[in-house]
Amino acid sequence: MQAIWLFLVSILAGFVGAMSGMGGGVVLIPALTLLGVDIKQAIAISIVSVIATSSGSASAYVRDHITNLKIGMFLEMFTILGALTGAAITLIAGQRVLFVAFGLVLLASWGALFLQRHEGWQPIAHQDRVSRWLELEGSYYDQATSQTIAYQGGRAYLGGPLMFGAGLIAGLLGIGAGALKVLIHDLVMGLPPKVSTTTSNLIIGVTALAGSSVYLAAGMINPGLAAPVILGIVSGAFIGTRVLVRLTNETVRRFFMVVLLVLGAQMLLRGILR
Amino acid sequence: MTDTVKVQGNRESLIAPEGVDAGHQNEALVGPADGKSPEKVATVSYVSSSSAKGTFDIEALVGYILLVGVLTSMALIMSGLVWHWLRTGEIGIRYSISGMNFFEFLLKGLGQVFADQYRPRVLVSLGIAMLMLTPFVRVLASMLYFLFAARNWKYAVFTAFVLTILTYSLFLR
Repeated sequence: MQAIWLFLVSILAGFVGAMSGMGGGVVLIPALTLLGVDIKQAIAISIVSVIATSSGSASAYVRDHITNLKIGMFLEMFTILGALTGAAITLIAGQRVLFVAFGLVLLASWGALFLQRHEGWQPIAHQDRVSRWLELEGSYYDQATSQTIAYQGGRAYLGGPLMFGAGLIAGLLGIGAGALKVLIHDLVMGLPPKVSTTTSNLIIGVTALAGSSVYLAAGMINPGLAAPVILGIVSGAFIGTRVLVRLTNETVRRFFMVVLLVLGAQMLLRGILR
Repeated sequence: MTDTVKVQGNRESLIAPEGVDAGHQNEALVGPADGKSPEKVATVSYVSSSSAKGTFDIEALVGYILLVGVLTSMALIMSGLVWHWLRTGEIGIRYSISGMNFFEFLLKGLGQVFADQYRPRVLVSLGIAMLMLTPFVRVLASMLYFLFAARNWKYAVFTAFVLTILTYSLFLR
């Protein structure tokens, strides 16, 4: 496998991933398998690169006090267990199962994007006892409105176990599963969008590390393949972040929906027809 | 009103956060976009999480750990690949790691550096190890913060749990 091809494909994956906000893994893994990389090895390489992209983006938001460290730490207890379980399943799973699972997750993401409604943030009215005990609250300064937004997180008893599921998918398929984490933060725990996305990013890094450790132990992280992929995906994500402001959201959304549909369908078909 | 305001975070991020879908981007970066004015949903009683417990800014520390970790890792991997290319004319490097847990992998790389056995692959290995170490060090720093600075036993236990599981998983082989 030519390293230069891996590098170029990873730049593209990082670019599309950053523009869409879905992360690079969803594009990277199908692309690597099309280049002839074994799907399990593609998953293993992808999850290491997820550490880089998530940590890179999390760093600025944490310093700006937007990310909620406590909520992140609480939920990480669940996601790392999920990621370890997911990665262990991948090691014993058949190739066909992984192709089908990946295809289904991509098509589900397409469905979520298709049905997406833009409702504003609804702060939770009453914080439950568990969430209060867990001190799930915070505030951040919103520069756009020059306001300090105070918020409380709720339904931690539901959010925690659901995050196990998000971690499981992340470990199983080698992706950040950020969209799913954000969905849990938004809909279940009632966090403001900004806190939700940035806290999810912090969690993704640790979750990806848990998954990576399993793949490293299994000898599936090939540094020769991983090195150009990591460099490529971070460079692509960096460029994607810069381009983001110049394209309209609707253009990006439509483009990414087509990408998701094509990649999801081809992964599903390759799994079924294997 | 808030929908029309295009604003980044207070500081520009290296990479856009994952989980922000295309249509969600502005909303996520701008804050509440439910048509209400922010005053209606926000309580102006900001207490910085860092200032609430002394002056130690754990968020700044965590942010810098992540930034330095990722940049160092990228620099190491790139140096390794460029060095290999200059030495052999080959783009890309071929070697595999197996039968090692993370700490053995890390120590092997460091051992080679201390033994002056610099080779491109050592730099690449250390770059990958540095990347994996980044979230681990972040959790370690958070645990020390909750333990000694914030004295929040509940969260010290939570972070200790995460750190224990991560340490265990990094010892897997």
